[in-house]
Amino acid sequence: MRLPLPDPNKPPPGPFRPEFWRSPLRSSQLTAMLGLVLLVGLPVVAITGLLSNDAYQPGLGGNALGRQINGPLDVYLFGWPSGPRWLYALTQGAHVTLGLALFPVVLAKLWSVIPRLFEWPPIRSPAHALERLSLALLVGSTLFEFVTGILNIQYWYAFKFDFPQAHYYGAWVFIGALAAHIPLKLPTLQRSLRVRREVLEGAGPLASPTAQRADPHSLSSPRPAAVTLSRRGLLTAVAGASGILLLQGVGQSAGGWARSLAFLLPRGRTRPGPLGFPVNKTWVSSGLRRVLVGDRWRLTVRGDRTLVLSRQQLLALPQHTYELPIACVEGWSTTQRWTGVRVSDLAALAGVAGPAILTSVSLETGTYGQATLGHQQVANPQTLLALEVNGHDLPLDHGYPARIISPAVPGVHCTKWVSELRFEAVRT
Amino acid sequence: MSRIRARYGAGPGHLLLLLASFVIAGAAIVGWFQRPNDLESVLVWFVAAVLLHDLVLLPLYSLLDRLTISRLPPRSIAYVRVPAIVSGLLLLVLFPTILGFGAHAELRASGIPEHGYLLRWLVLSGVLFAISGLAYALARARRAH
Repeated sequence: MRLPLPDPNKPPPGPFRPEFWRSPLRSSQLTAMLGLVLLVGLPVVAITGLLSNDAYQPGLGGNALGRQINGPLDVYLFGWPSGPRWLYALTQGAHVTLGLALFPVVLAKLWSVIPRLFEWPPIRSPAHALERLSLALLVGSTLFEFVTGILNIQYWYAFKFDFPQAHYYGAWVFIGALAAHIPLKLPTLQRSLRVRREVLEGAGPLASPTAQRADPHSLSSPRPAAVTLSRRGLLTAVAGASGILLLQGVGQSAGGWARSLAFLLPRGRTRPGPLGFPVNKTWVSSGLRRVLVGDRWRLTVRGDRTLVLSRQQLLALPQHTYELPIACVEGWSTTQRWTGVRVSDLAALAGVAGPAILTSVSLETGTYGQATLGHQQVANPQTLLALEVNGHDLPLDHGYPARIISPAVPGVHCTKWVSELRFEAVRT
Repeated sequence: MSRIRARYGAGPGHLLLLLASFVIAGAAIVGWFQRPNDLESVLVWFVAAVLLHDLVLLPLYSLLDRLTISRLPPRSIAYVRVPAIVSGLLLLVLFPTILGFGAHAELRASGIPEHGYLLRWLVLSGVLFAISGLAYALARARRAH
C-alpha cells in the first residue's frame, strides 16, 4: 500500500516554498555550529538537574512533597553525599547559569531551522512522520523546561502547576527526545562542519552543484536577500546575550564585589551589614507571631528518649563554628560563618548512637515546613543546629531561635525557626 | 530488512530509537498524571510553548526587523541589529524581573523591594547601542580613507 502523498514539487504558496525564506545567514553549517554548542551544553544542564533531584533526597521522610517516587523515571544517580560543602552550590549554580546562557543559543538554533517546520511534503514516509513527532517533543520539552525554569528563578509563578514535578518529568521528555535526536542528526552535523566553506562571513547557497547535491535538504535560501549582517555578527550578538546572562548566574553564586554582576536578576540580593546576606523567606512572610520565638520557645528532640531544651540550654552545649553555604535551587548561594550545636551531639543526647536520619520541623507549616536529612548529613560534624551567624544571634529572617545548616544540601532543607528534631535510626 | 526500509523509510535502528523516546515521554506523562489537576495546565504550557515560539514570537521579531532595522541604510544595519538582538534577548529572558512581574513575591521572600531593573536594562541597552555606534563611526572613518 502506498501512502497518498501530495505532490512534492507543488508546495502551496507561502512558507512551504523554499524561496519564501530569504535570510542569507541560514545554512546547515550555521545550524551545525549552534547544534554543537547545545550538544555539549544541554547534557550538562540535564545532568545537573537530575543531580538536584538527588540532592533533595526525595526518598527520605516528606522530602518528595507528595510525589510518588517509585516510577520508572524516578531514578537517582547516587545517594547525595554530605560534602564537599560547596557541592550543591556548584551543581545547581551550573544548572541555572548554563541554562540561562544557553537559551539565546536555543532560540538562534530554532530560528536557523524554522524553514524545516514548513517542509514540503509535510510527511514523506512513516519514518519521517515519527521523526517529526519526536522533533515536536524535543522542541516542546526544551522550551517548556527553559521557560518554567527561567520564570521560577525570577519569582514569577505564572503557572498553576507544581513546579518541581512539572520540571522534573518535563526533563525526561527532553532527555528521551534529545537521546534520539543526537544519533539521528550526528552524521548531518559532522558533514556540515566538514564543509569548510566560508561559514562566518559567507552567505547564500553553497556555490558548487556538487556541494548542493551533497546537501539536498540544505537550509540555505535558494533566493537569498543581500547580506546586511554577517554570520559572525549574528554569532557575536547571540554570544553577547549569552555572556551577559552567564554573568547574572555567576554573580548570584559569588560573594563580594562579583555579586553585583547579577544586576538584572532578583535572586540573592544582599542588604548591608554582617546579617544582610540573602534570605528567601522572611520572618514577615512566615506569618509567625513573635511570642512563639520568645523566652517560652523550647526545642523538642526526639530519639530513643525525648528532650526539651531552652535556647540557654542549647547555648550551654559545646558550640562549633563552620563556614557553610546556603545554596538554593534557584541557583544562588551565599557562604557565612555559622555557630551552633552539632546535630550528632543532639542525637547522642537523645540516645541515638548508630546511623540516623533527622527530620527538622519548623514552627512555620508551609511547603518546606519540615525536611529530612540523610544519615550521612547527620553524621557530618559540620551539620549544625545553628544559633548564631557571623558572631551575632540569628536574625528572625534567618531562623531565630535556631536553624539547621548542613554542607551541600539544598537551602530549603536548612529548616528555619526549628521547633522539633526527630532522629530515626536507619540501617545503612 | 530492505522491505522494512522501503515501507518505513529508514532502518530498524531509526524506528527503535524513536519508539524508545516515545516510551520515555509516555512515562513522563504518567509522572505528571500524579497530579491530575496539574496535568491539563502542564500540557497547555507544553503545546503553547511550541506554538507561541514558532507561530507568534519568531514571525513577530522577523516582521519587526523587516519594518524597522531592514529599512536603514544597508551598511548601518549590522550595527543596529547586533545590539538590538542582545537587548531583545535579555528582555525576553528577564522580562518578569525587568517589568516587575515578580515584585510582590520577591518582597515577601527577600524583604527587599524590587525596583530599578527597567532602568538598568535601559542603561545596558543604551551602552550596547553606543558601543555599536562607535564601531560604526570607526568603520566609516576607515572607509573614507
